[in-house]
Amino acid sequence: MAHGSSVAVEQYNYDIVKKFAIMALVWGVFGMSVGTWIASELAFPVLNFDIPQITFGRFRPVHTTSVIFGFGGNALFATSYYVVQRTCQTRLYGDLLPKFTFWGWQLALLLGVVGYMNGVTQAREYAEFEWPVDLLITVVWVAYAVVFVQTLRRRSQPHIYVANWFYMAFILATALLHIFNNLAVPVDLFSTKSYSLFSGVQDAMTQWWYGHNAVGFFLTAAFLGMMYYFVPKQAGRPIYSYRLSIVHFWALSFMYMWVGAHHLHWTALPDWTSSLAATFSIMLLMPSWGGMINGIMTLSGAWDKLRSDPIMLFLIASLSFYGMSTFEGPLMSLKSVNALSHYTDWTVGHVHSGALGWVALVSFGSMYHMIPRLYDTKLWSQRLVYAHFWLATIGIVLYITSMWVSGIGQGLMLRAFDDFGNLAYTFIETVTFMHWPLVARALGGAFFVSGILVMVFNITMTIRTARQEQAAIEAKIAAKLARAGA
Amino acid sequence: MKFSHESIEINAGLLIVLTLVAISIGGLVEIVPLFYIPGTVEKVDGVRPYTPLEQAGRDIYTREGCYLCHSQMIRPFRDEKLRFGHYSLAAESQYDHPFQWGSKRTGPDLARVGKKYSNAWHVQHLKAPRSVVPESIMPNYPWLAENDLDYSDIADRMRALKKVGVPYSETEAEYQANVKKFGKAMADQLNINLAGENLLAQAEAGNYDGNRSRLSELDALIAYLQVLGTMVDFKKYDEGYFAEFR
Amino acid sequence: MTELLAWLGQPEHSKPLALVIFFLIFVGILVYVFTGKGRKQRLESYKYIPFADDEREQKETDNE
Repeated sequence: MAHGSSVAVEQYNYDIVKKFAIMALVWGVFGMSVGTWIASELAFPVLNFDIPQITFGRFRPVHTTSVIFGFGGNALFATSYYVVQRTCQTRLYGDLLPKFTFWGWQLALLLGVVGYMNGVTQAREYAEFEWPVDLLITVVWVAYAVVFVQTLRRRSQPHIYVANWFYMAFILATALLHIFNNLAVPVDLFSTKSYSLFSGVQDAMTQWWYGHNAVGFFLTAAFLGMMYYFVPKQAGRPIYSYRLSIVHFWALSFMYMWVGAHHLHWTALPDWTSSLAATFSIMLLMPSWGGMINGIMTLSGAWDKLRSDPIMLFLIASLSFYGMSTFEGPLMSLKSVNALSHYTDWTVGHVHSGALGWVALVSFGSMYHMIPRLYDTKLWSQRLVYAHFWLATIGIVLYITSMWVSGIGQGLMLRAFDDFGNLAYTFIETVTFMHWPLVARALGGAFFVSGILVMVFNITMTIRTARQEQAAIEAKIAAKLARAGA
Repeated sequence: MKFSHESIEINAGLLIVLTLVAISIGGLVEIVPLFYIPGTVEKVDGVRPYTPLEQAGRDIYTREGCYLCHSQMIRPFRDEKLRFGHYSLAAESQYDHPFQWGSKRTGPDLARVGKKYSNAWHVQHLKAPRSVVPESIMPNYPWLAENDLDYSDIADRMRALKKVGVPYSETEAEYQANVKKFGKAMADQLNINLAGENLLAQAEAGNYDGNRSRLSELDALIAYLQVLGTMVDFKKYDEGYFAEFR
Repeated sequence: MTELLAWLGQPEHSKPLALVIFFLIFVGILVYVFTGKGRKQRLESYKYIPFADDEREQKETDNE
């Protein structure tokens, strides 16, 4: 009876997957709570409390780092280690090396976050880690690549499943981006301060080449890898079209790297660069929607699962948000739209429709599928999964709509003229206008945080139950053995 | 070996190489030319590296994460011209390591905030923004006035910036080159060997935080804010000149 | 022919040239992926890989 589970333990390294999955939730709760806090700071500045460590400017990188690299990163480590083992039907390569990626990654995150709060930052958005942490991340990432590729090489069948292609592209692209965007010269070997190798326009281009492709490969390609495994598994039916996934993979990998400069429309960056980026941004709609269609159509003919399976609800909703934000993105990369949307909350709302709607929901769905299997048990409560889903969805909708109001409203106010050709509004009047949307946004964030708290409770109970079941089984066996011995 | 997609699917090495090719092209095409195409950075007089005190202030600006709410990049629109001034030139951030163009305006653009407000206004505004602009949502920064400016490693910082291409001088030849390029007064300021003295002298002369008895972080930050966007004299150029570079 | 080569040699024509090359590669991938009956069957068979380990799981539960 215990035979089956002991074989599973030996065949797959689930221990490392469990570690990463749990830390994903820990960083998720922390990062999203900080996000809600800084959102509230914008609505009610008194919440800065004159404490340097938690003022908006220092706390915002704590939020972005914790949710992107903490929640997202740990979720990707967990699922990639899980998916690569199960689709290659082989055990993860090495034992110490995966453990090193785990501890190294947590240490880098912790050092980064504590550093930001104390003013140690490179002042590059989403790449604020200072040079010592950057070096640590580089080493961890190389170890990650080695573990992943060596596991692929040990696979028990010739074909590499497409989910692994996406994870592979994510690992390679992140390495490339991380290294080139963090080229810097430290003040000295014992100083945490460094200056970027490039300056001005070249630095801006490198940074947004990094910035957008962190979205493209870290937050999109990798999560598509997740999608290509967990949607079919949870639906119990194969992906809609394998051939579409091949075309979609190559198109996405090729085109994403061109689009970063759409963050620099109308700036001192030469026009040819941002125009080229805008062109590719619009073309990118095709491969993006290719992925969305492939995921959603997997459920074709089994739509009733949406009524009976809350995990499926998470996965399909995430794909819908993915489709929505990959439509909104190309729209905002048009120069005329960007003239209004850039520098406003519209961008913030767009990011979160992708980050909350796509990245977080697909991770939640995948983890609800994966964690019970890691512990060889069932989810503690299906109803709490429904509760989480609705809390998260209400949060996202509040968030996105309030940012549309705030962003588009501010954009229109800033460009308004009166009959005499004077500016209709001062800047501060737009700030006043944004107060209520900012309150609504913070409320949306609070909904989303309460959702993940429900999940943490549910997962905790699931793991506890699994441990109890395990203990009961072991006691039974021990009793049997004792009887046999007597 | 006959080439087919199948060999990619079953060969991890080939998959890695082809993926690397696919993801490298876009970056290469868009980034590399920016270093070589002449005119990417305009030829314009007046733009110079920051003095030691201004650079120290800039380091505080980045430390506090000001770039997360304030851009330093004015776009060529009528409303932005009226509100913030002439659109930003690439040349104006050529000594900015890292660039601070920003991506979000929770507060107004700061690319040309220099000389717009008095030092006293900045002191009051940084300590308690709502005492000057009641509707402001900016955090208070009282500690900037309380903290002594640590400039012990200012020469090292300038040396690091020199390594990445900022023309601070250490040798006589470099100094003479700076005299030619920026004039004697400024070349003296950019001399790494005199970094500490120069920093103190500028803070003393400028008295940015209104308190002569101490050198605070506020002194440095305001010195930086007051130089932003003031280096280029736009009266010397007609509009057609800058348009050529766009 | 020499005219064509001369035209291609000019750096400002690299953009249309690159466009043609990339487009042809893309079309090539499309044609490769979506033609051929045998290829179709082979490629589509891979979508069952995620389910390949279910059999093993099934056996385990049978054992229990």
